[in-house]
Amino acid sequence: MGISQFMTDEHRACDDHFAAAEQAAVNGDWETAEKEFLAFSNDTLTHFKREEDELFPAFETQTGNTQGPTQVMRYEHEQVKGLIGKLAEALEAQDRDAYLSLCESMMILLQQHNMKEEQMLYAMCERLLPPDLKEETLNKMKQVEL
Amino acid sequence: MFNQNGLSLDQAPPISVVFRFFLSGSLFGLLAGVLVLLFGTEIFNADTPQALILTHTLTLGAMLSFMFGALFQMLPVIAGVKLTAPTKKAALVQYPFVLGVVLLLSAFETGKAPLFISASVLLGGTILGIAAVMLKNLLALPNHSNSSRGMTVALVSLTLLTLLALYMTGTLSGLWSGAGYSEVKTAHYSFGLFGWIALLIISISFQVIEMFYVTPAYPNFISKSLPMRLFGLLLLGSIGAFFFAQSWFFVDIAIVIFLLCYALMTLRRLSQRKRPIADATVWLWRTGMVLLTLSASATLTTRFYPVASLQAINYIFFAGFALSIVFAMFYKIVPFLTWFHLNAQGYFTAPMMHEVIHPKTAMKHLYIHLATLAAFLVSIYYAPAIYLAGSLLILSFGWMLWQIIHAWELYIHTQKTGEKFEMSMPEAEG
Repeated sequence: MGISQFMTDEHRACDDHFAAAEQAAVNGDWETAEKEFLAFSNDTLTHFKREEDELFPAFETQTGNTQGPTQVMRYEHEQVKGLIGKLAEALEAQDRDAYLSLCESMMILLQQHNMKEEQMLYAMCERLLPPDLKEETLNKMKQVEL
Repeated sequence: MFNQNGLSLDQAPPISVVFRFFLSGSLFGLLAGVLVLLFGTEIFNADTPQALILTHTLTLGAMLSFMFGALFQMLPVIAGVKLTAPTKKAALVQYPFVLGVVLLLSAFETGKAPLFISASVLLGGTILGIAAVMLKNLLALPNHSNSSRGMTVALVSLTLLTLLALYMTGTLSGLWSGAGYSEVKTAHYSFGLFGWIALLIISISFQVIEMFYVTPAYPNFISKSLPMRLFGLLLLGSIGAFFFAQSWFFVDIAIVIFLLCYALMTLRRLSQRKRPIADATVWLWRTGMVLLTLSASATLTTRFYPVASLQAINYIFFAGFALSIVFAMFYKIVPFLTWFHLNAQGYFTAPMMHEVIHPKTAMKHLYIHLATLAAFLVSIYYAPAIYLAGSLLILSFGWMLWQIIHAWELYIHTQKTGEKFEMSMPEAEG
């Protein structure tokens, strides 16, 4: 499995937890919502860390470009983290309307971000990184923990 | 700011770029409602100037406006395309475009050559211009997704159908004799309905359905090959018609089968979605897909049993399909853009998406839309119902106009009164 496939699969796994948390919130099952939301935010933050600690530096070293796409992705990660914080507050307060409204924003924001990574950045990594560096980066990414 | 290989900092264009197109789209929609009240059931007879005028008010005036707005919003994201100076480009397109539509509608009414010529210059220039800019960006992409590939084909269709339209307006204004006029006309509306409207919706849905509603992916025979096959069929039908009278008969059947596969698969995907809430946008997508299924079935039937009332019904089905999806996109894009820009500008008090347009408000529009479609269907058998249909169409687009104005006021109000903190990275263009 290559970098692109591994990271794309992680995006989809995060979506599943996100959807499960949203479903639980709709049902008023705040305990499950909390559990699923925690899984979503942990997975998402671990995924971001894999990128920021391993993938982006590898890309930057290979291309000599630190102010380009990776910088944009880092900025978008900050936006997502901000929303995770707001979602957690709504969850804590068991504020169904606020939670579901923030879910809408999060879903669009996150999916737009994922689309860019999957279509542009990962594809660029697959093309530009030499095979041994790709394998090394993928292995290192798998070791990353929060 | 950052524009490296199409990965841009901006996840959304300036809000005014999208809203201005949505505004003009809504106003043309209102005009369409007024025209229905004026023309009555004459609109169901495809050979009348009334049908021609109403069709172009809806497709060119309303739908194309909304689609331009949505493309400005989606191209940077779906296709990684960053349009430089979008505010300037949007203004440069919009004013001549709106004037062009008004002149074309007047030309259809009066048949005057100067009106046809000026409308052609304005519409040809703006539509071909914006399609060329978008195509240039799309074709330069190193990696294509199914969506970006489909959008490229849809924009090529838009270019072709516009060129065919220019040939017809040139003929109507007496610039040339217009050999093969009727073949060109068939090619024009076929590329318009299937190559542009349907294909653009199909291409966008590959991203929107899968990612925003979290569904399994479309099968490859739809997402990878359908756009090119549809386009190939349209070319085959258009060119074949010059040599073989029955060419569209077979091509239409093939197109209809493709559209049926797509619509039924989308309905299935929507039922498999992992996000639980069936909000108005989910129901609008469902409505659109059911109408596309009905329209495709009606097209198939009329090829074997040409019934006049079925053609009128099909007109309602197809217009209803396209408008349903336009509305579905509208209710995602407007609240998101309003929230996104204010949030990115650092306002603590940025309204949440539900505060921009409440889900119940969108649901009410769904009911208005369904009532409008029902009234149009009834009016085929009971003519006076057309006045109810026209009034409901006015209400439907008036509803959208209200949402745009409300969102814009909220945006300006938050900017004027909201508290904000300074972000480390400012937005490129506000």
